[in-house]
Amino acid sequence: MIDALAYVVIALAAVAAIWGVVTAVANKPPGKAQLLFAAAVEVVTVIQSIIAAAKLAAGFRPVELATTIGYLIGIVILIPIAWLWANAERNRFSGIVLAVAALAVLAMTLRLVVLWAPAA
Amino acid sequence: MTPVPTEPTGSTVRRTNSGAGRVLVAVYGIFALAATARATVQLLTKFEQAPLSYLLSLLAGLIYIVATITLARGTRASRRLALIAIIIELVGVLTIGTLSVVYPEAFPRATVWSVYGIGYGFVPLLLPILGLSWLWHTRTH
Repeated sequence: MIDALAYVVIALAAVAAIWGVVTAVANKPPGKAQLLFAAAVEVVTVIQSIIAAAKLAAGFRPVELATTIGYLIGIVILIPIAWLWANAERNRFSGIVLAVAALAVLAMTLRLVVLWAPAA
Repeated sequence: MTPVPTEPTGSTVRRTNSGAGRVLVAVYGIFALAATARATVQLLTKFEQAPLSYLLSLLAGLIYIVATITLARGTRASRRLALIAIIIELVGVLTIGTLSVVYPEAFPRATVWSVYGIGYGFVPLLLPILGLSWLWHTRTH
């Protein structure tokens, strides 16, 4: 984990979540730019998990190792599944589905930042 | 192309996996993942600390998985399973929520349903209510 990168993920996820709500309120399915943005959030999230995995491999040990690993894996599968689910039936609710996944990524990143404390 | 199933009157069959139901399935899916993964880690790494709490969390996770899959399928048979799962879920969160307030010492570690799901912003209490409302809303006559 790199704090600066975590805050980038949090900021991008927040934008994706708000974007999803905005298109839902406008009664539109997510547009191409919005879907690409969600993909970008996913890419940064994957990079974050890879960096964290590399640090774990290099010997870093957080207090709750198993939980941390679970979060690092779980966080990268949310947006791809939400993307497929949102595109299988395209309407205003697609945006909310993407927003829910983005909020989950945001919350999990906040939790990861706390979990990433070295074991005494 | 399979035609959209229609009622004899011509109105589209209301499926639990359509419209707002897709958001409900997404939220259930996240809770299925979160509760099951968390309980599995706890059971594998520190079972002896609070076996009852962790087993209850795992039960909650499994119920969320059933609810997610059955709501996402949206068939007539899966609706029935969804109804059973969500009723168990509602009874579970109300029972464990109340017990955890009255007898906190019985739950040394938090479960998904402790204090009505306070650790997850009370979404665990809201979900079964929304789930039952959605099943009612999409019922066929």
